[in-house]
Amino acid sequence: MTRRTRRTLPSPVAMRRGILVTLLALWELVPLTGLLPELFLPSLSSTLKVLWQDGRIYGHALAVTLYEVAMAMAIACGGGILAGAAVGGLARLRVLLLPVVSSLYAVPIVILYPVFTAWFGVGSESKIAFAGIYAFFPVMLSTAAGIQTIDPQFLVAARSMGATLPQQIARVIIPASLPTVFAGLRLGGALAIIGVVVSEMLTAAAGIGYLLTLNRTILDSPRVFAAILLILLLSIAYYLVSRAIERRFVVWQSAGKPLQPAQSTV
Amino acid sequence: MTEAIAVEGLSHNYGGTVPALEDISFSVPAGRFTVIVGPSGCGKTSLLMMLAGLRAQSQGSIHCLGKPIPEPDPQRVGVIFQEASLYPWLTALENIEFPLSLRGTPKEDMRRRAEAMLHLVGLAGFGARYPHELSGGMKQRVAIARGLVQDPPVLLMDEPFAALDEQTRMTMGHELLRIWSTTSKTVVFITHSLTEAVYLADEVLVMSARPGRIIDRIPIDLPRPRNYEMMATDVFGRLRDRIWRQIRKAD
Amino acid sequence: MKILLVRLGLLALVLAAWELLPRHGIVNPLLLPPLSEVLAMLGELLQRGQVREALGVSAFEVALAFAIAVPLGAALGVLIAENDYLGDVFKPMLFIVFAIPKSIFLPLFILAFGTGIQQKIAYAAFTTTFVVLMSAAAAVESVKQDYLLVARSYGATRLQILTRVYVPSMLPVLLETLRISMIFNFTGVLIAEMYASRTGIGHLIASWGENFQMKQLFAGVILLAAAAILFNEALRWMEARVSAWRT
Repeated sequence: MTRRTRRTLPSPVAMRRGILVTLLALWELVPLTGLLPELFLPSLSSTLKVLWQDGRIYGHALAVTLYEVAMAMAIACGGGILAGAAVGGLARLRVLLLPVVSSLYAVPIVILYPVFTAWFGVGSESKIAFAGIYAFFPVMLSTAAGIQTIDPQFLVAARSMGATLPQQIARVIIPASLPTVFAGLRLGGALAIIGVVVSEMLTAAAGIGYLLTLNRTILDSPRVFAAILLILLLSIAYYLVSRAIERRFVVWQSAGKPLQPAQSTV
Repeated sequence: MTEAIAVEGLSHNYGGTVPALEDISFSVPAGRFTVIVGPSGCGKTSLLMMLAGLRAQSQGSIHCLGKPIPEPDPQRVGVIFQEASLYPWLTALENIEFPLSLRGTPKEDMRRRAEAMLHLVGLAGFGARYPHELSGGMKQRVAIARGLVQDPPVLLMDEPFAALDEQTRMTMGHELLRIWSTTSKTVVFITHSLTEAVYLADEVLVMSARPGRIIDRIPIDLPRPRNYEMMATDVFGRLRDRIWRQIRKAD
Repeated sequence: MKILLVRLGLLALVLAAWELLPRHGIVNPLLLPPLSEVLAMLGELLQRGQVREALGVSAFEVALAFAIAVPLGAALGVLIAENDYLGDVFKPMLFIVFAIPKSIFLPLFILAFGTGIQQKIAYAAFTTTFVVLMSAAAAVESVKQDYLLVARSYGATRLQILTRVYVPSMLPVLLETLRISMIFNFTGVLIAEMYASRTGIGHLIASWGENFQMKQLFAGVILLAAAAILFNEALRWMEARVSAWRT
């Protein structure tokens, strides 16, 4: 009886790729073989075909969605990072506000969306307001936490080397804050995308989420899936790009800081 | 005046009420290696902060090279901290250049001087490494290089080797003496380790527990350059013993 | 103490603004009804059968979705934490999962289950499972290796290790997991109700909004916000009690 050599499993990366390929294959084959009705799962090829045919429509919708995401990000990241830096850096503010914000975090922000549509209408403003607020608090909390990890000794050392206050800010505080800021941008963008998509799905007149809902109500499954696919690609692309940028610019941030997944609720 | 550091009647209270230091007076002649030891919380670090101009004392005067030191003066006094506090976004060389860059020193000048310091501390060739790629001992060497790059006549060191393991500590202590011997700087060095104190110092100042006072000045007559074998001698042991007894008495 | 007073002061300020700004016309009272009127409406709503029924439906969905998601997510989370290979394969994928708007799958649940109650429960359970998974994995990994080593060196059996080391060590984290998962669960149910449903408090709120019934809308918002905060704080209090030994 021969001894079996130890079976090696494929590397995790290969395994993941394998899973992805298998899923795509199933997406194509399962509907074609009739295991699931086309209504429930249109084949990958029919989804792509429709996406190609309606390219203009989807492109326009994507532009609307991206615009809303960008605006929401400006609010959430601009405001969130500044607020987080203030709360994280100033002990008095932190002690005062942080527990309050953490408690508010428990409230599902989505209940405010009807308020925004009543106030701002069905157009982009309500989406931007909603997604902006949705992303604001997590970015603020994340930035506040990150600011606190900066070694206070950095500033003492800078002072001992004769740094003036402007120099302390520009040469020490800002570079030391960069990883936190990048993390905030990544988080804010991801949450902005999520917030915009949800709100577009609920009440809208334009955007990819709107297309998704529209086609669902007329039971046009390939078009529904085309919208789903687009959103998947958008959010995954954002994730990969922002991670890559973060890694490249913050290469000196040594291992030991675990990366938190975006706190999405939807 | 040959006194590099002159402290007169120094007292300090935390928050105006808690006494931290009490009537401290001592002077350090130029070129001398002085070590301060004392129990935890006796105010050694606060004293050092004041010598560096990083903190203001409640009472008394401090003169460094004949002038008071109300704020940090890196060209007069260099400071090295317990945690190297190197900036992780800068390479070793850039960290050493940092104090020079604050003063707008031209690039080539900075590079030249920083490279020289790197060489002095035995890290030639490691300039392009980032702090997270360096060991604890290497990081402290870079910190020392950074403190030396402006060639200050006075060097203050706050337990710089405390975070290192014992073997690295001994090596670093020896290295420090080598570097110091090539210059004529005045050094004030704080440590918890009595062995380190005796090994490095020309004179050891013993502080009491809070509120910190100077309770003894112990001259260390061991010949220089020091070597490890001295640690096994009777003289060494007696000196260390004397310090220990003083500290125990003070508690 | 002073902090509490300042916070209460801030709260009072916000509440006062909510009352006075609309009353004096600085803010359009049609868009933002004064707080007193909203609270009055809230009292009225709680007496209406339709509202109570909607609350009941939502509560049921929340509970059932939670009951499905927690065991499922916990089991998967433990699996990923214990098995190194599975962890290496699936953890990076999980990060991506959290970056995706999971609401895009809601239409799939509707296609599968219709617009009734099942799709809402299924969707909420779906989204919550991932959160529970992540937290459970983190909880398992948080049990210090040292504790395990000590137990094993004393010859503890696997069951003993489970009950005497894992559980007490993980208890505070488990409570936190439940607390955070519930936040996401609640949100998931509400989104499903607002999207394509004719029952539940989420649907009510959405339709009040559509019909510009602002008093009812704000009353609903206050009610839900209060419920969420109360539940959250209750669990937080329990967490604190249990984790006194934690640094």
